[in-house]
Amino acid sequence: MSAPGVIACMGLTRRFGAHVALQPLSVEIGPGGITALLGPNGSGKSTFLRLLLGLVRPDAGTASLDGAQLAGDGLAVRRRTTYLAGEIHVYGELSGDEHLAWCLAGRDARALPRARTLARDFELPLERRVRTYSHGMKRQLLLAAALAPEVRVRILDEPTEGLDPTRRAQVLALLREDAARGTTLLVSSHHLGESERFSGRLLFLRRGERLDDTAAGELMARARRSLRVQWERAPERAALERVLAPFEACELVLEDDRARLFAPRATPEELLRALLAAPELGPLRTLSAGEASLADLYRELYGVEGV
Amino acid sequence: MPRRSSLVLAALAYTLLLEGMLVAAVLLWPEFAENLNAFRSMTRAIPIASDMLGEIEDKGFVAYVIGQHFFKGANALGVAAAVLFAAPAVAGEVQRGTLELWLARPFSRRRMLVERWLAGALATTLPVFLTTLTLPFLAARVDEELVLGPYLACAAHQALFLLALYALTFLGSCAESNPTRLTLAFLFFSVVQFSLYMVKTVTHYSLFRLSDMRVLLALAEDGEWNAPILVGLALTVLGSLAGSLALFARRTP
Repeated sequence: MSAPGVIACMGLTRRFGAHVALQPLSVEIGPGGITALLGPNGSGKSTFLRLLLGLVRPDAGTASLDGAQLAGDGLAVRRRTTYLAGEIHVYGELSGDEHLAWCLAGRDARALPRARTLARDFELPLERRVRTYSHGMKRQLLLAAALAPEVRVRILDEPTEGLDPTRRAQVLALLREDAARGTTLLVSSHHLGESERFSGRLLFLRRGERLDDTAAGELMARARRSLRVQWERAPERAALERVLAPFEACELVLEDDRARLFAPRATPEELLRALLAAPELGPLRTLSAGEASLADLYRELYGVEGV
Repeated sequence: MPRRSSLVLAALAYTLLLEGMLVAAVLLWPEFAENLNAFRSMTRAIPIASDMLGEIEDKGFVAYVIGQHFFKGANALGVAAAVLFAAPAVAGEVQRGTLELWLARPFSRRRMLVERWLAGALATTLPVFLTTLTLPFLAARVDEELVLGPYLACAAHQALFLLALYALTFLGSCAESNPTRLTLAFLFFSVVQFSLYMVKTVTHYSLFRLSDMRVLLALAEDGEWNAPILVGLALTVLGSLAGSLALFARRTP
């Protein structure tokens, strides 16, 4: 049994037929703070979150949230947590206000007024039917319902997905405020950069398997030190390899006019200086460093396709 | 709440239609009784229909009301209502993607499912009783006297029959993801069953034998509850509900 505000699981596993959606996963999260759950589509993030709430039954393993053991249909856990689903589907025939009331049935009495305040802060027209809302507005409505109840643990599946930058920043500020009050937030995301900024801890999933913290740290470091470039014309591979030869253990992936470079003991700036000092490679068209989508990152650094 | 308002409206429409059919049938009674022989000769090619008219000829208004209200009205509209109320109960949530939202609320799955099951069951059966309650008033309009008790017993039997179909469709909804497919399958099944009923050589294979004029007249006239049928229907209801709970417990969003 976990302590108050703690999410703990031991050997949590789920298969769908022959497909292993979540390999035996053991982790302890909290109490308090924001933990980002990262991984590209199909990595098992949503399955893990649904397992924690009892929405999907585990094939093996145990979990407890805020002192409640996950058992049966997970009612004890759901009473102590709130959840924002990753895929946004709503009852379009209800008004925003009715929808909030429906989502918050069974919660503390102050949850609904708080949700209304949050929704108003998001400038949502609560009197209008939800079917007239945009995708982002629907997510904000459900997020208001997920943030309103007084609970110690919140599980949010991609809370900023589809939001414009202003709302995104507003939502992240709300999550930080919530965490500052001592709430444990487990937040899944595709966005490595954003997650790195707002969360205190990162958990990486790949094909239903949690990467250990060392591997995850290495992954982050590599993301920061990778350089992606595109030339006006495709350079000769031999010429490029000659330019990169001084960099020890430099990894090169060249596809036509694009290259992805990583040198363990060199910064992206040093790699770039070397490329610019080699006129035989031709002029550069675009370059980027430090940030990559997680899918790109896995592909570049682990050579894993389709994750 | 999302389903409740539409369910209430649909149940209201079903009640009004059933009542409308009942009013029309009762007010037609004097004319019908006058032309019964003509109707019998018209239905000679359909022995089952002819038998029903024979019952009306023998027993009068009571058989007419049972035939019109329970066998025709409640069976036709009630079966459609039972299927339409049950099919989207869970499959509809899966299709529109709201199952996860529904399941994530702080209630047990058992409670959520039973609440939904009961709401649909009430919407399916209550109109049968409500419309039956208006029978004495309608009968008086055509100078017939009517004691309500036997008709309420028939309503109870009919309601149990509809409830069994509702429970079976609900069970299907817990396993299915497409409510339209489920609705069409059950409605097709019902039409086939009704067609079987109307063919004398195969009528015994029809489920409508469980709630036809023969069974209901025995109940109305002699107070004879058909125990094997009632037990069978009740077991179907309970078994389907238990199956629904078991399937729903393992349903994933």
